[in-house]
Amino acid sequence: MTPHPTLRALLCLCGLLLPLTLPARNVDLATVPERRTVQLTIYNSEDLTLVRETRVVTFKQGINPLQFSWANTLIDPTSVDLRFREPRTGLEVLDTTFPHDKPQTLYWNVHSDADREATIEISYFTSGISWAADYLAIADPDERHLRLESFVRVRNQSGEDYENAQVRLVVGTINLVEKIAELAQVPVGRLNELKREEYRDLRQRAARKAMAPPAAPAMELSTGAMAADMAEMAPKEIVKEGLSEYFIYTIEGTETVPNGWAKRLRSFKADAVPMTVEYRYRPREYGDPLTRLYLLKNDTASKLGGTPLPDGLIRVFRANGHEGLSYLTTQNLKYVPIGDKIELNLGVDPAVVFELVKQKVYRDNFWLRIKGGNLYRKLGEDGLKLELDSQVAGWDEHTVYRQRIRNYSRKPIAVQIRRDYPGDVVFRSRLNPTLHDFQTVQFEAKIQAGEKAELDYEIILRQGYNQKQNRVELQTGEPGR
Amino acid sequence: MNRIPLLYPLGLLLLLGAAPADVLARIKLTTLPVRERVEIQLDHPQIALVEEERIVPLVKGVNQVDFSWANTRIDPDTLVLRILAPTDAQALDAKVLSVSYPPNETALVWSVAASASGAARMRISYVLGGLSKEFHYRAVADRDEKTLNLAQYLRVGNAANEAYDDARFWAGVGERFEKPLGLNETKEVLLDRFAAVPVRKTYTCDPVQFGYLDRAQDKLNVPMHYVVKNAGGPLGREPLPEGKARIFQDDGQGGSAFLGEDHGAFTPPDDEWELYLGLARDISVRRTVDRNERQRIAGNLYRHEVTLKYEIENFKDTPVTLDIAESVRQIRNDLRGDNGRDPEWQLGDGTLRQPDPEKSDADQLLFHVDLPARAADGQAKKQIHTLRLTLNNEW
Repeated sequence: MTPHPTLRALLCLCGLLLPLTLPARNVDLATVPERRTVQLTIYNSEDLTLVRETRVVTFKQGINPLQFSWANTLIDPTSVDLRFREPRTGLEVLDTTFPHDKPQTLYWNVHSDADREATIEISYFTSGISWAADYLAIADPDERHLRLESFVRVRNQSGEDYENAQVRLVVGTINLVEKIAELAQVPVGRLNELKREEYRDLRQRAARKAMAPPAAPAMELSTGAMAADMAEMAPKEIVKEGLSEYFIYTIEGTETVPNGWAKRLRSFKADAVPMTVEYRYRPREYGDPLTRLYLLKNDTASKLGGTPLPDGLIRVFRANGHEGLSYLTTQNLKYVPIGDKIELNLGVDPAVVFELVKQKVYRDNFWLRIKGGNLYRKLGEDGLKLELDSQVAGWDEHTVYRQRIRNYSRKPIAVQIRRDYPGDVVFRSRLNPTLHDFQTVQFEAKIQAGEKAELDYEIILRQGYNQKQNRVELQTGEPGR
Repeated sequence: MNRIPLLYPLGLLLLLGAAPADVLARIKLTTLPVRERVEIQLDHPQIALVEEERIVPLVKGVNQVDFSWANTRIDPDTLVLRILAPTDAQALDAKVLSVSYPPNETALVWSVAASASGAARMRISYVLGGLSKEFHYRAVADRDEKTLNLAQYLRVGNAANEAYDDARFWAGVGERFEKPLGLNETKEVLLDRFAAVPVRKTYTCDPVQFGYLDRAQDKLNVPMHYVVKNAGGPLGREPLPEGKARIFQDDGQGGSAFLGEDHGAFTPPDDEWELYLGLARDISVRRTVDRNERQRIAGNLYRHEVTLKYEIENFKDTPVTLDIAESVRQIRNDLRGDNGRDPEWQLGDGTLRQPDPEKSDADQLLFHVDLPARAADGQAKKQIHTLRLTLNNEW
């Protein structure tokens, strides 16, 4: 293996040794034990990465000073930790010193009971390494299946080149509130009394605590890893495993991500994921237009479901049947747990025309308030005619609507409509509607290719004195008088 | 290990060397795989998708393919590399292993593994900013304004800072076509031609939409339109995208006279495509409110009886149909103020009793009125029409 002159985090075994003193001299001699393995665990939601590296160091019997420096990187000096992996006994850190005259450097005095070669593990937290997921979906021309590919992109702005690193990505944001409360020694309910900086600091520390315990399995010391990778001709597997409340993706083999670079790897690929197309009118969710959606599920029946889908950009295309693609949309996919559904919003389809026509308005069931008092009388009852000093206090407002849908696409379409009706409302139709919630009516229609649908319904809004409830009542009947 | 930088806009750069994959070599040997085929998809309303196909020589092992796009607005998040299935039997198997993004460069590097040395057909797709499209139309009416020859043009503007020698275009409507598109070039192509489509010339008065010619004299504007139904014959298969239309009329002497231009709205099949032609000065419509009375139903609840009168004269030598449009809500608001409620109304026994059911609803009314040509002595006969409305349950 070639030495890496670009390494900025250096470990030096000082050649001139003075027991229990610092080699604080201007003339220095050092050897540089190289990294054997390095593992990155990238915890995205806190801009925190746990680095574990192993190096092989030759110790002599007695006290050996070790220097570790990290100029121009984003390593947190308080997090640097030294452990002995092989052998585990006979070696001991006597002290750690942060010298005043050399920033971003520390010294360890290591006592060895014999002359030996040892494998040491140095771990620390750094910021500046991030990862993000992104997705590519290409639907078949007939829009029954789509190919979904998921990628992870690791970006290194940490100031340090990490070569041949094992990369582990933590998926999901874990709830840190309890850990923060524990650290701050206050009840959870009083966390909001903490200062903002203090809270941020505690949050970082809590994240570290959450990250540190799942210690990596003992790393293999294979120096031939790079050569083995070169022969690897298949795209790398990304192994996914659940851990507590979150998922860890481990990228097969090792990766080199130089400082400033980003690298994107395929996380999984699923061919022929079954999907359906649905048109939805849900103004609260999608705004006013009728929206076209691709619907699929993150489950095994859909050839997915191996892992939750982390947040990330998804680009959606459709194969246009002429060996080309049609660009449909780019959107942010929100974290999709295993078994949950995936909705891809494709916006308006110009081939489907969606129009609402107000056909008729009429009012009845008038109640009048007599002389501004507490007496109310219904119009037309008890000979109430020309009661002069009375005011309209309540009435029923009837509005007859026709929902027209024209399908000029080459396929039958399924349309789902949801409309909110606040107030005391009767929804009268023959559309077999259901209530999505107490004030939202939902109904569906299937429209064949080239066909038109006319869906009629009547809204009866009980106003003023007539309003007794705040809910929609569904009624089967012919709309209009 | 082999590196193949793919350079854009110059082409595809194939770089052969022995540098490690992770460090950019300073000394490079490159080949330039040329574009075999380019498709520009303009079917999305805002976005242009470019797909280019290149044959990339690969050697057995891992190859680095560089793609860079100096001075162009490629959206790197949309870049998709697909290795097309080989056509011949002994073709190599190639797979994309990873993509690396070097710092401070508009470039990326694909790691591609090849099972054998040979050429792979790759398709690179990306969204490119700076390619614009617009539709426009040329409509030539025949002498008696019964049919129209309609030509639909597509104009593609290239401000993308990249030339395409021969690209296949698809605009979402019409046929696919193949044209070169140079740097900063604008290309206009005839996309479709619709011959002898039936056209209706309409004269419409609508106080809300078109207003008054002379408010003091109660004279309404009477704009003229050509109305083409996007249905039947060659039309109706696709929507007509929005775009400017230039309107001409056959002058009967082998030429055509320019009538004006208008912006045609997006028109789905079965809808009407309307082009404004200007105001008709030979049709005079005077609209007055002839009656406005209220009756108490009870307390503060009233019924209003309203009559609108139209005095219409046609000074033209030909009979025409006048369309009279009204908004009942506007009438109610004008006569008794806006109370925020929809009007509840019934048509009375005026001469205008049969609104066009297709174009009328709870608020809008549209009536068609036939107007004879002016008499032989030059006198236009004045026609009187009335619209009687009962506005119920107003307070």
